Amino acid sequence: MKKNLVIPILAISMLFVGCGNNSTAQSNSNTTSQVSEQAQTNNQTENKKVDFSNFSTAMVSDIGGINDKSFNQNSYDGFKRLNQDTGAKISYKESQQLSDYKVHFDALRDENVNLIWGIGYLLSSDVVNAAAMNPDQLYGIIDTDLDGKVPNNVIAVDFEDQEAAFLAGYIAANVTKTDKVGFIGGIPGRVISRFEYGYKAGVDYAARELNKKIGIETKYINSFVDDSMGKASALAMYNQGADIIYHASGNAGQGVIEAAKELNKLAIGVDMDQSYLAPKNVLTSTVKRTGDAVYDASYKTASGEHLGGQVLRYGLAKHGVSLADPNENTFNLMPKELYEKATKDIEEMIVSGKIKVPKDEKAYEKFVSEL
Amino acid sequence: MNNILLSINITLMYSAPLILAALGGIISERSGVVNIGLEGMMTIGALVGAVIAYYTQNPWLGFICAGLAGCALAFLHAIASIKFKADQTISGLAMNFIGPGLSLFICKALFGGTNTSPTVTNKIPKILSWMQNPNKNIWTSNLNVDSTILIALLLTFAMWYFLYKTKLGLRVISVGENPKAAATLGINVHKVRYFCVLASGFLAGIGGASCSLAIISVFSPTVISGKGFIALAAVIFGKWTPQGALGACLLFGFAQSLVVLLGGNESIIPSQFLSMLPYILTIIVLVLFVGKSVGPKASGEPF
Amino acid sequence: MSIKISSLLKKSTTAIFISILLGFLVGGIILALSGFNPIQSYGELFKGVFSKPRYIVQTIIIATPVILTGISVAFAFKTGLFNIGAEGQFMMGAIAASFIGYKIDLPPIIHPIACLLGAMIFAGLYAVFVGWLKAKFGIHEVITSIMLNWIALYFNNYYVTLPSLKKPNSEGVYEVLDSARINILYNVKANQENILAFRDKIAELKGNVPIVNGVEKPTLFMKLLDTVQDIVFRTDINYGIFIAVAVAIIVGFILNKTTLGYSLKGVGINKYAAEAAGINVKKQIIMSMLISGAIAGLAGGIYITGMSPNRIITLSLHENYGFNGLSVALIANNNPIACIFSGLLFGALKYGGNAMQSQLGVPTEIINIVIGTIIFFIGMRLIFTIIADKLEKGENSNE
Repeated sequence: MKKNLVIPILAISMLFVGCGNNSTAQSNSNTTSQVSEQAQTNNQTENKKVDFSNFSTAMVSDIGGINDKSFNQNSYDGFKRLNQDTGAKISYKESQQLSDYKVHFDALRDENVNLIWGIGYLLSSDVVNAAAMNPDQLYGIIDTDLDGKVPNNVIAVDFEDQEAAFLAGYIAANVTKTDKVGFIGGIPGRVISRFEYGYKAGVDYAARELNKKIGIETKYINSFVDDSMGKASALAMYNQGADIIYHASGNAGQGVIEAAKELNKLAIGVDMDQSYLAPKNVLTSTVKRTGDAVYDASYKTASGEHLGGQVLRYGLAKHGVSLADPNENTFNLMPKELYEKATKDIEEMIVSGKIKVPKDEKAYEKFVSEL
Repeated sequence: MNNILLSINITLMYSAPLILAALGGIISERSGVVNIGLEGMMTIGALVGAVIAYYTQNPWLGFICAGLAGCALAFLHAIASIKFKADQTISGLAMNFIGPGLSLFICKALFGGTNTSPTVTNKIPKILSWMQNPNKNIWTSNLNVDSTILIALLLTFAMWYFLYKTKLGLRVISVGENPKAAATLGINVHKVRYFCVLASGFLAGIGGASCSLAIISVFSPTVISGKGFIALAAVIFGKWTPQGALGACLLFGFAQSLVVLLGGNESIIPSQFLSMLPYILTIIVLVLFVGKSVGPKASGEPF
Repeated sequence: MSIKISSLLKKSTTAIFISILLGFLVGGIILALSGFNPIQSYGELFKGVFSKPRYIVQTIIIATPVILTGISVAFAFKTGLFNIGAEGQFMMGAIAASFIGYKIDLPPIIHPIACLLGAMIFAGLYAVFVGWLKAKFGIHEVITSIMLNWIALYFNNYYVTLPSLKKPNSEGVYEVLDSARINILYNVKANQENILAFRDKIAELKGNVPIVNGVEKPTLFMKLLDTVQDIVFRTDINYGIFIAVAVAIIVGFILNKTTLGYSLKGVGINKYAAEAAGINVKKQIIMSMLISGAIAGLAGGIYITGMSPNRIITLSLHENYGFNGLSVALIANNNPIACIFSGLLFGALKYGGNAMQSQLGVPTEIINIVIGTIIFFIGMRLIFTIIADKLEKGENSNE
């Protein structure tokens, strides 16, 4: 449980410790935690502890449950923090089949919830339908922008996964010793494409900077759960010369990281810091702070803001996605300067718009042609 | 050459848990008790294996305990099927609900609500792990498979020897073919069946552990995902013989390795069809080479 | 006295009731061990299913697909085949219904019928392949069915990628057209205007709520109107259950009252005897799989045309409609009519389980263990017949 507080606290403490002063950032993590906790409450509650105890929010999770050590769990952690900070009431419903989503959304209507969240793009059509049927109920949906057509009573939260993936690719290209890196995706689709093309763009960008050619192997394993296939695909890629693989394949990624561990190569994790799976072989991870987004949007809604009808985009700018914070192994696997360059300079260029990170094939081809 | 070695590596990796679970299916059904609960027993084995190995840092202890966990679940199946003359298909089905449910419950209880166990740092060693650096060349790197496949191969031979060359084994077969006749010969049908079902649970359990302690080093709810049913298919494919099931599992694993090697950046076949390859290949081989599979005559009937 | 008990016990329905009771009892122990009050939990389960008409309707809706997959598997069992491939046939039926439902434009009543027929044919053929392999080459249907289940899963994911079908910005295809839906009174919720129009109509019919002693006291008629509005808007109420019941009756009729049924069952009981009696066993196997697959496909078709999300979406794992149908069939002792009830039981456990989870925090896996326990005890119902025999013997020997 403590682990989940450390990352946001560290993140915020880094904001306050300042840009150039990173040598003390990590060692200060414990001492600054008190400072940053104060800073956090300062930042978000304006010197006053807020009471939202008559605000309730609920989430309908995707298949996988709220303890899936990923997406759903991340979001629910945001809920828990909201409850701790403000007393807002939280609840959840776990889904086991696609037809469960609608049933859960309907059941929540009986429970007088102020804001109902759907966690995951698979729930988008059910959220839209529920919103149409219940115009006086506020809904939220994570991981989609609903193509821009957001009903007035829906808050769409979308993540610029490709931006963090770009950083991952950038680092991979700089660390690779074989000039060959890999990407393993789960089931092909819009969301995974963001990871794929953002990553590839990062690799290409770095390759151009380093003035060399870096090959990228891509494989889709057609599953988010088949860890044996993930491992086998990674074994094949490593055998063919790649030495760093970034995966966006859910639970199947456990196999990818295992392959990295066994062959003593490197892997890059996704959605949360996956270094716990193989501390010496996970170079870094791209983190998706669905919990923070849920917290933010719920908090603002509880304070009276009307966010319905909007798309809230979380990218590097809002710290909704980022690279995972470094741990004790990180700088054994990559030079500290590289991490800093990626998370400061490159990140800044993305945030300011100097680098437009592609999120699909067409945009990627354009990106490459303009490099 | 690289590809051939890689293919061997992937084949063996995929097959190991399937072979172990299939052996479990064989010993149970040979004695006359249908066991479709392999999936549930594998799951509880995967969990217990990962948990014990995490706490004791000893993967082999975890491995054995996984087998015992499978045994425990199989014991329920055994009591229902043998003593209470339950419908064995239903009982096996119940195992497929109870096994995963129990696994998740225990995992969440032990590890603070998360459904994935903490990483096992000391997992089942690979066969060449005594070498200084097995990843040096492609030969040792690829042939450095998990010990579980070795265990699976040994157990296949052991079961073959047991069933066809030992007295107890022939008793098992007779109990499965004609329990009434076996009983008149003085064989305690119930005792034999209990032994076999428990052994079946043990094998399925270690099959599950070879997923969470060798293929990856955590338990997660998706770590088994249908392998129990593939093992069931292998039992039938192999005509209820250990060597047949071994062949079926190796074929399946080999097909999966083809999926990996044939897939890639550019491919004319949509990747989803390529993923179907192991299943299509199994059917083709069935038609061309295997044909009819007849189970033990008394399988499924309570005695 | 005990003769009466023994004859009561012999009745299979008693055995099932006792088994269900035992299952709930042991499930209650498990709940208690995990820290939940079993009585409270079961109370929530019961309330979650029965306390409002809408809940009952939801339970029926959830149960409908598994009732049909249950009938599919039950039918196959009766004819001697283990159709573990109902899962794949369900998916194929769903895909066919999705295609016809979206791509082909047909007038209202004809469209859903076409979808369901298409689902039955496509899934039936998928199952016939299994039957043909068994008839021609003797290949065990369990292996081929398991393989085809996985092939269906990957085909499902391939289908979603087809350009003319894929819904942009989603991982699925387009929903079936409005004309293809089998929801009851679908038109009133088809779009925003209709919703408002229907709401107005109901309000009009209701009129003014009478006030008695300063409190609003709606009449029974008003409450009825509210309930109807509730159910129509908030659930996917559809004709599927009527179709399922009809299929159960038809299948029961085929099995028990027709020569086709007799010969199919004969093959199931003893195929050598059947062959000796002149029955073309090979043809029967194929016919049997065709019917069984068609029914499972019908379940998939009803799912697509009647239940959210009304479309095919990428899947990593099977949704278990077919596997749950296996449970339903076995609990019902392979009796098609009984499948209706065991399917409803399954739906109730699932839907009521949701209530347990949301009201008391009972995790989903505990609910699955409870379901497993109930199935486990139902599997042991034969023991009551044996106890009955022993009681009878005891009574007889006492005379």
